[in-house]
Amino acid sequence: MRLLSGQGAWLLQRITAVYVGLFVIAALGYFLIAPPTDHAAWVMVIAHPVVALGSALFVVLLLLHAWIGLRDVLLDYVKPLALRLTMLTVGAGALILLGLWALYLLIRTGLA
Amino acid sequence: MEFSIYRFNPETDTLPKMQRFTLPDDQVEPGMMLLDALLLLKEQDDSLGFRRSCQHGVCGSDGMNINGMNGLACITPLADLEAPVTLRPFPGMPVIRDLIVDMGNFWDQYRKAEPWLVNDSPEPEVERKQSPEDRDQLDGLYECILCGCCSAACPSYWWNPDKFLGPAALLQAARFIQDSRDEATDHRLAQLDDAWKLYRCHTIMNCTQVCPKGLNPSRAIGDIRRTMLKKSL
Repeated sequence: MRLLSGQGAWLLQRITAVYVGLFVIAALGYFLIAPPTDHAAWVMVIAHPVVALGSALFVVLLLLHAWIGLRDVLLDYVKPLALRLTMLTVGAGALILLGLWALYLLIRTGLA
Repeated sequence: MEFSIYRFNPETDTLPKMQRFTLPDDQVEPGMMLLDALLLLKEQDDSLGFRRSCQHGVCGSDGMNINGMNGLACITPLADLEAPVTLRPFPGMPVIRDLIVDMGNFWDQYRKAEPWLVNDSPEPEVERKQSPEDRDQLDGLYECILCGCCSAACPSYWWNPDKFLGPAALLQAARFIQDSRDEATDHRLAQLDDAWKLYRCHTIMNCTQVCPKGLNPSRAIGDIRRTMLKKSL
């Protein structure tokens, strides 16, 4: 089983979807029932180890899910190899930057 | 009854056009199939090109796009069609002439599915036997007549016909993966485990909707994925 091709990618997309879906439902439920009232409350919630770890995992799995989806779209529609490789590289780079930024925010909040 | 039929002759035309045909009401008979009507229209204009052979939904020659849906002309009742009946060649396939398409790529992909039994064990005296339960696994798979309606209705096949095998070839792959007598299951599954051959299928299910034999290529593809998963765990 190749990790990010064929069955590996297909399976990973489904596993990540389950976690991302459950996380979004839990987060929405939390914000609807007991939303943080100010910035300090936000920081306290995010800095909690369980929330921080869960959020970090959410970011990583969301980006993996997005990568597989983006790759699928580009494989389907973009035929010229050079253009496809360029778009895949730019897409992967953008997702990695997004991930690093989100993790940086989580770590900074945790250390605050 | 009115018909609007795609016409293109590469030897004389630069662009395709739709041509109107009229089948007089006195020629329309109860229980008539679309192919019967086409044969009568061909008497009006013998340059009209389409394939047909057995005329009973077995050979799969007369697949075409009928009022926007792929199907076999010989088993499509004329009474079920809204006039004007619009006939086009299979979408996504190169047109040779009128309703006749080049199915070369379709057969190439079929061949890639290795649609033959692989069994290197010594031949038994009589036959390679299957239990009734194992034989039942082939139901819904072996009946495919390779008309091409499914693959020509599949957007993934339109986008990547050279790399994605298409529902018809994958149904055949499933047929041999499920066959208890076949010894090449691991090889078959390994062949399909890349980004293109199997996993370009996005479960759009046009294939299942149009199959004139009522088969379910979408489910067969799902079965291949499940078998692959079980084998890899």
